[in-house]
Amino acid sequence: MAKKITINPVTRLEGHGKIDIFLNDQGDVADAYFQVTELRGFERFCIGRPAEEMPRIVPNICGVCPTPHNMASTKALDDIYGVEPTPAAKLIRKLQYNANFIEDHYIHFFFLAGPDFVVGPQANPAERNILGVISKVGIDIGEKVIEVRRRTRDIIKLVASKPPHPEGGLPGGVSRAISEEERRSIRETANMSVEFAQFALQFFKDAVLKNKEYLDLILGDAYNLKTYYMALVDETKKMNFYEGTLRVIDPNGKEVAFFDPHNYTEYIGEWVEPWTYIRLTYLRKLGWKGLIEGNDTSLYRVGPLARYNVVEGMATPLAEKEYEEMVRTLGKPAHHTLAYHWARLIEALQAAEDLQRIANDPLLTSKDIRNMNFNFTGKGVGCVEACRGVLIHHYETDEKGLISKVNLIVATQHNAAPIGLSVKKAAQHFIKGGKVQEGLLNMVEMAFRAYDPCLGCATHSLPGEMPLEIKIRDCKGNTIKTVRRGI
Amino acid sequence: MSKKTLVIGLGNPILSDDGAGIYVAREIKKRCKGLSHIAVIEASLGGIGLLDVMAGYERVIIVDSIKTEENTPGKVYRLRVEDLGDTTYPCGPHFLDIRTAVELGTKFGYSMPGTIDIYAIEITDNTTFSENLTPEVEKGIPLLAEQIIEDLKEKDELLTPSSL
Repeated sequence: MAKKITINPVTRLEGHGKIDIFLNDQGDVADAYFQVTELRGFERFCIGRPAEEMPRIVPNICGVCPTPHNMASTKALDDIYGVEPTPAAKLIRKLQYNANFIEDHYIHFFFLAGPDFVVGPQANPAERNILGVISKVGIDIGEKVIEVRRRTRDIIKLVASKPPHPEGGLPGGVSRAISEEERRSIRETANMSVEFAQFALQFFKDAVLKNKEYLDLILGDAYNLKTYYMALVDETKKMNFYEGTLRVIDPNGKEVAFFDPHNYTEYIGEWVEPWTYIRLTYLRKLGWKGLIEGNDTSLYRVGPLARYNVVEGMATPLAEKEYEEMVRTLGKPAHHTLAYHWARLIEALQAAEDLQRIANDPLLTSKDIRNMNFNFTGKGVGCVEACRGVLIHHYETDEKGLISKVNLIVATQHNAAPIGLSVKKAAQHFIKGGKVQEGLLNMVEMAFRAYDPCLGCATHSLPGEMPLEIKIRDCKGNTIKTVRRGI
Repeated sequence: MSKKTLVIGLGNPILSDDGAGIYVAREIKKRCKGLSHIAVIEASLGGIGLLDVMAGYERVIIVDSIKTEENTPGKVYRLRVEDLGDTTYPCGPHFLDIRTAVELGTKFGYSMPGTIDIYAIEITDNTTFSENLTPEVEKGIPLLAEQIIEDLKEKDELLTPSSL
């Protein structure tokens, strides 16, 4: 008799999601599907609006990635207006963007991953949360996380009016310059961020890599998935969050594509499956091959682990050293899904170092922040690395500059099919003979938590927390057992 | 005069009824212009962000949307923080539940509000991009704003000007 286990909604995940795990007659995992709430009508909502409104609208798509949406949208707007931002404006945008990477990555590591690795994957659920993390690491570390977060958000606020939903974003530039007094404060934040980034990496190595149980988990087959990888790289193939060329490597690390994001439709295909609202992406030139891993797959991953695999190094010296250590430990390409966490912390260091570089750049306080030499094109593609992976905004307008077409490809969309596969693999290891225990279930959830998937919505109706409901059903859909927690 | 009471309208203003809390806050702001000790903000954020905005206030009133099995759009619920479940399963770092946010703030030594009142209006649609509310929810917005203002007035009688 086939059984279905439903984890709905998933815990400690951004937004609203559901995972269905189907068991076969023996109670072993046959399949797993990752689903999200469908948000409808975004294109219809945008059509007819002036293109300049888009950078202010798109941060509201998602309460998790507002700054990346704002930045991708602003870059698409540059394209529509046929204009390049001035060097100072680009520097200020990068200032904002690095601040976002620092803030977001630490919140993920300490709030989301922390409970699994610091408190323990099979620990008492009542302690496996941020409060449990703070009990373990000490209040001063907790305060430091909050302080770094506050200061980096202050930078976003300075440049783009307010986090979490930035309002800045003008074609050809930014809306305000940076003063020398503001530079001093930014410099302090940057210095603090570099110091904290180094601490966080050391903490990860001590708490996770030196713990044999955790290291075995990271290296084990349950959390290994062999796919292609895609990320933005700069002209020397180093990591770049703000701009660059999209590079794709195969499961063995060989470069198979290197393209301008404007040509994304030639390389990225979108596939509709009946069980999900997400249009699953795949490498178009390979064709859709279904939910499979290995050399024959056409699925690719994005985000920190993908960036680690795709780049030929980091753009800053301290991050480069950390990257080299990760390469020595895991090799390349690394298919270990839990290594997303390690890669994420190295990226936070690069973002902090780059913030420091920008804080000391004389150009930062230049008043030349807007290029108004417009050459209207009516079409724009903006591509950035969101914290969770490649983000593409594509707009077209009529001759008056009113939106006529919108297409977005978001990080969780690229990762959706691999997330389903990762959950299936983990579930196959940890659920056997129909036996489902809380600790084991969390080990399954860890597979998708590593991706830090945002489920595409800023809906947060009460109760404002995510209860967990597990339904075990027979093949006719009858519920034979329900386990509820946090409801 | 420092502001002691904060009204937070929560939601996403471009996701249909999800923005209900924001619309209620706007209505309160419009009607409470003269009350200098009451701050009214709108926010599309959850617990960890709420921690930032709540710290330092004595009383916080949160206005949000809610979906229940009863499914009666426009109906108002009064909730306490304790009604929102325990802190075992916070839903995400960006949408940390209110109770965890308060506990976290207290741990960090922030001055967290002594009283948090939650008003929630039952909604229908929070998955369609739109700046319009569904009809029953729209009707409920001024009524809930009025109810909150009345409750504020009642409480403010206990709050003498000299204590502000």
